[in-house]
Amino acid sequence: MNEILWYSSRATGIASIVLLTAVLALGMVTSGRRRTQGDRATVVMALHRWLSLGMLTFLLAHIATAVAETYVSIDLVSALVPFTSGYATVWVGLGTLACDLLLAIGVTSWFRPRIKEPTWKAVHLLSYAMWPIAVVHGLALGTSGEPVLRGITVLCGAVGLGFAGWRVVTSHQDRDRREAVLAQEWS
Amino acid sequence: MTILDGLAAAGLTGRGGAAFRTAIKVRAAHHNGADLIVNACDGEVGAAKDGWVVAHHLDELVRGAALVTPGRRQTVRYAAHRGSGTEQRLRAAGVDVLGAPARYVSSEETSLISLAHDGLARPMTKRAPFVFGGVDSRGRRIRPTVVLNAETLWRVAQIADHGPEWFRSVGTPDEPGPRLVTITGHVSAPGVVETSAGVSLADLLDSAGGLAPQATSILVGGLGGAFLTAGEARGAVWSGPGLAAYGAYLGPGVIEVIDPSSCPLAVVDRMLSYAAGESAGQCGPCMFGLPAIAADWHELTTRPSHEVLTRLRDRLGVVSGRGACHFPDGVARFAASALRVFGPHLDLHVTGSCSRARRLEHVPAR
Repeated sequence: MNEILWYSSRATGIASIVLLTAVLALGMVTSGRRRTQGDRATVVMALHRWLSLGMLTFLLAHIATAVAETYVSIDLVSALVPFTSGYATVWVGLGTLACDLLLAIGVTSWFRPRIKEPTWKAVHLLSYAMWPIAVVHGLALGTSGEPVLRGITVLCGAVGLGFAGWRVVTSHQDRDRREAVLAQEWS
Repeated sequence: MTILDGLAAAGLTGRGGAAFRTAIKVRAAHHNGADLIVNACDGEVGAAKDGWVVAHHLDELVRGAALVTPGRRQTVRYAAHRGSGTEQRLRAAGVDVLGAPARYVSSEETSLISLAHDGLARPMTKRAPFVFGGVDSRGRRIRPTVVLNAETLWRVAQIADHGPEWFRSVGTPDEPGPRLVTITGHVSAPGVVETSAGVSLADLLDSAGGLAPQATSILVGGLGGAFLTAGEARGAVWSGPGLAAYGAYLGPGVIEVIDPSSCPLAVVDRMLSYAAGESAGQCGPCMFGLPAIAADWHELTTRPSHEVLTRLRDRLGVVSGRGACHFPDGVARFAASALRVFGPHLDLHVTGSCSRARRLEHVPAR
């Protein structure tokens, strides 16, 4: 039984990081100057939202199995409070931190119609901190003996960084013009 | 008769250009306890009538404003371009002045509302009219605020004094009432004249000294308006339907007679450059579209080709109907009418025989 839990924890962790990277990439595609337009934008946005919910189920399973299995000591407290686990305090703590950030991002998105847009945006931008933390957590902890699984995490990192680079490069023209105009007299 | 009934019976519409029914706005302002901003910016290129109202009828203007804001907590502010004579007059009169940057889109109603809420004088998206209150793009609360043109409020006071029958005694049934027009450019007596819809454009121009025989074109409605050839102007009627055939409308009541000694393409070039520089940098079609259109026009004037003409026409279609404050719509309409009216003149540029082009190259923009 313990073995099943342990393997489940690995598997759901990998599934989570793959889905998280996909959600991040889709999110970056919906923002910035070269964002998708029209019907495609609707599809991309829907995928971004529904995949993030799908990812949550894998993540919950990942955390639940990690707490439940008894090879290493990760308790319920360290699933919520970062850097409190007995096992691999730093690396597990990073996972907890990413999870807490994700919780904040998820809750503010759920209540987006009821909160101020700048608040939602500020919290949502934490995604850019949450995702690398999650990837580092995955690289440091998981699957050291299994090159295929490690390769998937590395690939996720590369894809995410690629999209982030694309996002930075493609946003300039718009931002430069906005800032140049904003520097004029408007008040 | 209440003022609301009076306005509805008179059929007064906004004199700032959009011609929305004033009775509806004032009823909503009463119902929501809205603050009032009196727009005396004369933001359209060539406009001077709101300054004229402030200079000559400030008492009635103040009374009109009071009729729109009967509640004790409703405030009234008078918006004018910073540094203008109108601003000085308003300050000297001791009213609450909202000094706006002397820019085109800053004179637009949502820009003034944003400015009055300590924001930048840039247009806001109207999810619903701000007379109901709302939020700006950063989520800050906007109090219920109504913006009315200075001439409109002067008319409100006049209707309260003289009644709707008096108001309807001039104009057409669809466009009733006296209205101000600013006539500028190549006329002997430029200035603000009072007229009404339905008069002939020739008679209207006569009140400013008349359309000179050598005049070739006029511009109705400024940067958001359209050109007419002098021949069209001589036969046209000053009314919405009368101007619609030329893509023009009564708008904010501005007529400019284009100086016949200047190259009309160069005149349009300067106005489009000005328009491109006035974008608030918020909506793509405006912040990228207008500079692209201005650049195309400049190329058309200096190095005309079929390619640039086709590209310009495409762009005029692309920016239309887009942008929160519809500034690009006005500019596209303006440029399209310039293409229509100055098409024959464009041939002179193709053959390099426009004698007026070079001379005006260095005249600064407005």
